[in-house]
Amino acid sequence: MENTRTAPSVLTARAAGLIGCTQCGRVQTPGAARCIRCGSVLQSRDEASLQKVWAWFFAGLVVYVPANIYPMLRTSSLGKTTDSTILGGVIDLIHHGSIGIALIVFFASIVIPVGKFIAIAYLALSIRHRVKLSDHRRHILYEIVEFVGRWSMIDVFVVAILAALVQLDFAAHINPGIAAVSFALSVAFTMMSAQSFDPRLIWDANKGNPA
Amino acid sequence: MSHPRPAEMDMSPPRKSFWRNLSFVWLVPIAALAVTLFIAWQSWAARGTLIEIRFTNAAGVTADETVVRYRDVSVGLVENVRFSADMESVIVAARIDQNVADNLPVDAQFWVVRPEVSARGISGLSTVLSGVYIEASFTPEPGAAASSFEGTNKAPLVLPGKKGTRLTIRASDGSRLSAGSPIFYRGIEVGSIEAPRLLDSGDGVVVEGFVEAPHDRRINSATRFWDVSGFSVSLGAGGLDLSVDSLASLVTGGISFDTVFSGGTTIDDDQVFDLFESEKSARESVFSDVIDNAVKLTVEFDESVSGLSAGSPVQYRGLRVGVVSAIGAFIEDTASGQTVKLRVTISIDPQSMGLQKDVRPAETLAFLAGAVKEGLRAQLAAKSIFSNTLVVDLVDAPDAPEATLGIFNGEFPVLPSIESDLPDVTATAEGLLQRVNDLPVEEVMEQAISLMASIEAVAAAEGTRTAPDAILALIEDARGLIGSEATQAIPQELRDTVGELRSTIAGLTKVTEDLQTADAVGQLVAALNAAEVAAEDFSGLSAELSEAGSEVPALIDDLRALTAKANSLEVEQLMTSAASFLDGADKLVDSEDMRALPAALTGALQEAQAALSQLREGGIVENANATLASASDAAKAVATAVETLPALSDRLARLVRQAEGTLAGYGNESSFNRETVAALREVRQAAAAVSKLARALERNPNSLLFGR
Repeated sequence: MENTRTAPSVLTARAAGLIGCTQCGRVQTPGAARCIRCGSVLQSRDEASLQKVWAWFFAGLVVYVPANIYPMLRTSSLGKTTDSTILGGVIDLIHHGSIGIALIVFFASIVIPVGKFIAIAYLALSIRHRVKLSDHRRHILYEIVEFVGRWSMIDVFVVAILAALVQLDFAAHINPGIAAVSFALSVAFTMMSAQSFDPRLIWDANKGNPA
Repeated sequence: MSHPRPAEMDMSPPRKSFWRNLSFVWLVPIAALAVTLFIAWQSWAARGTLIEIRFTNAAGVTADETVVRYRDVSVGLVENVRFSADMESVIVAARIDQNVADNLPVDAQFWVVRPEVSARGISGLSTVLSGVYIEASFTPEPGAAASSFEGTNKAPLVLPGKKGTRLTIRASDGSRLSAGSPIFYRGIEVGSIEAPRLLDSGDGVVVEGFVEAPHDRRINSATRFWDVSGFSVSLGAGGLDLSVDSLASLVTGGISFDTVFSGGTTIDDDQVFDLFESEKSARESVFSDVIDNAVKLTVEFDESVSGLSAGSPVQYRGLRVGVVSAIGAFIEDTASGQTVKLRVTISIDPQSMGLQKDVRPAETLAFLAGAVKEGLRAQLAAKSIFSNTLVVDLVDAPDAPEATLGIFNGEFPVLPSIESDLPDVTATAEGLLQRVNDLPVEEVMEQAISLMASIEAVAAAEGTRTAPDAILALIEDARGLIGSEATQAIPQELRDTVGELRSTIAGLTKVTEDLQTADAVGQLVAALNAAEVAAEDFSGLSAELSEAGSEVPALIDDLRALTAKANSLEVEQLMTSAASFLDGADKLVDSEDMRALPAALTGALQEAQAALSQLREGGIVENANATLASASDAAKAVATAVETLPALSDRLARLVRQAEGTLAGYGNESSFNRETVAALREVRQAAAAVSKLARALERNPNSLLFGR
């Protein structure tokens, strides 16, 4: 057993002939179709999980492209209209000397989403292929991805707030660009992708692929 | 560690079918892809066509910022700004919306809209904040899709598609016309002009104008344009005329037009209008060539036609009948050589002469030929007394030498002319100026200054100062003479003589008594004769004295004249007069008579004494009574003479007083001197004023004419 080196051998619910409710966590007896506590559908393993993961993943990837190409913000100040993309905004911020904010935007808008894409792809691939990272680490990675995913929305929030607040007619007004919608969708899709991933598969993989 | 036994799992086998196994979630990425692709395609499809606009400069045009607008709607965005290959111009590449680009004709106009502040208002104000933009203007032409254009620096006068008439106006001077100046029709702005440009020949300017529909239908061949720029002031026989148009035209200039006569025909596209100086001249211009059946004549003038110009009126008995259409010179060979003659071409409107409107030129000429035979002549006349503008006057001169309307082939008929009786205003004015110029102002000034100097020198000279003293001394001498004992003794002596005569008479009474006894009549007669002689001497003396007395008034007159002359500042003459006066006084004092007076008196007395002594010695004469009577006569004569003497001395004293008054006035610090000095000062001030005037005149001779 390869993984026993990194993680102690774990008895899974499946191995114990039980089913855990993914919603409320109650352990059910085998054969139950629904959770006796919360009534959600019970499934020992989600067979379609990887499909969903990949589907949401690609959807997120597709909308992530325009999110970076199209302008995120359309700023009109005294008749002058400036469009700024995400990366353009970061560069502008650096030029203006606000390196701290630039870093925040850069992390929130570029590093995290991209990292998320990589992490999800890595996790999804790790189900079918052998990877070096131990089951436990991958589970932590999954937890991180799921936790961090919503924070990518910080950009969208900023745009939404700015667009709502800065409507001073001619003096200045800010409108969200196409990229804002794309980006929001991208974040949403990657979150869905992460949600679709059934972490129990991580353990199954070890079981199913004994050394 | 024993594991609990796993329960029996009810595991459903995996569904083998791939398609059945496929999750519906895959619809999401497919939809996302579709949407994204659709957006991409849409933005690509709508990104428009790249066109290139060539500008001489692209001030304010910024890539990715400057928009292109058509009818104030943004239709494109500048993508980049670069130089042309030869660096001569700037090429602005702009991406234009596809539907607009499809309709762009080759002659579409692009210009950069910038903020502009002019007398006619402010335009493009929004560009101050938003930056410039490129405005496009064109008449849509579906499918043309041109992609390379020439940009203009300024907005075109006429936006394509605007209805109206474009016209060309020719002016002699473009200083009062500027781009955008309005065109007025009866005070309503109906169009505008572009910037005037020089003719290729350089002898005028041409300006393109545009009159909007429907006002352009007012324009026909009878339309005249005139300049309403600024304001015009004219002063003429009709009084002061001030005309000011709109404030905008005051600043930027403007053109007004009106149809000045009926019957104009529609204009061609290339119709060129002349711009007249004023409405008046525009209305007066009706004549030139617009009359179809106008008759052109040539008039030759020997004299200067300065003041006559093409467009000058031709008048007949004060009525305008035509216009001067051209002026030229030609050389005529005569017996005495070649002379330059001036040839003026005039065109005459037959209708104005009272002929029918549609009369043929030949008939007009026949009429004119008849009139010339009757004495119709052309003559130059001044338009008004205020100007040297000339008009050609057709006058009836029955006395003029015979002449006919010279009709030659190929040329205009020659209308004979007579010499004008123009007052040569120019010559007169020039002559006046010349005369003013020629005034010997400088010399007059120099002479006046030297005169002043000499007067000053004379007044300050030692001799002048001492002259009064000398005169005073002379008078003193004269007074001394008159007041001398001898002179004053004369009456005393006369009294003595009379006393002696009385005693003589007393003696005579005694002698008479003696005579009654002695016969000494003969001797007495002789003595009486002598006494008679003495008496005669006396009367002569008294005559002389009165003569001398009569010289004194003359002397006084001399003195008065002297005073008058002194008053009139003729100092030199004064000196000579004073000298002659003194001479006269001298002469009087030194005269033989004066000197002889005491001697003669003495002689007479001596003779009388001698006679008396002879009488005393001699015998007593018989007819002593007669002798006494004559002696009494003699005594009376002597008394008369004596009576005249006080008057003489009075006169002399008066003379002296007057002379003294005169001479006292000559004292060093006397008021006379002060007055003289004051008078000199005044004269000098006057001289200075004259010299100032002279300088002013020299600098600006015109001021003499214009008053300043």
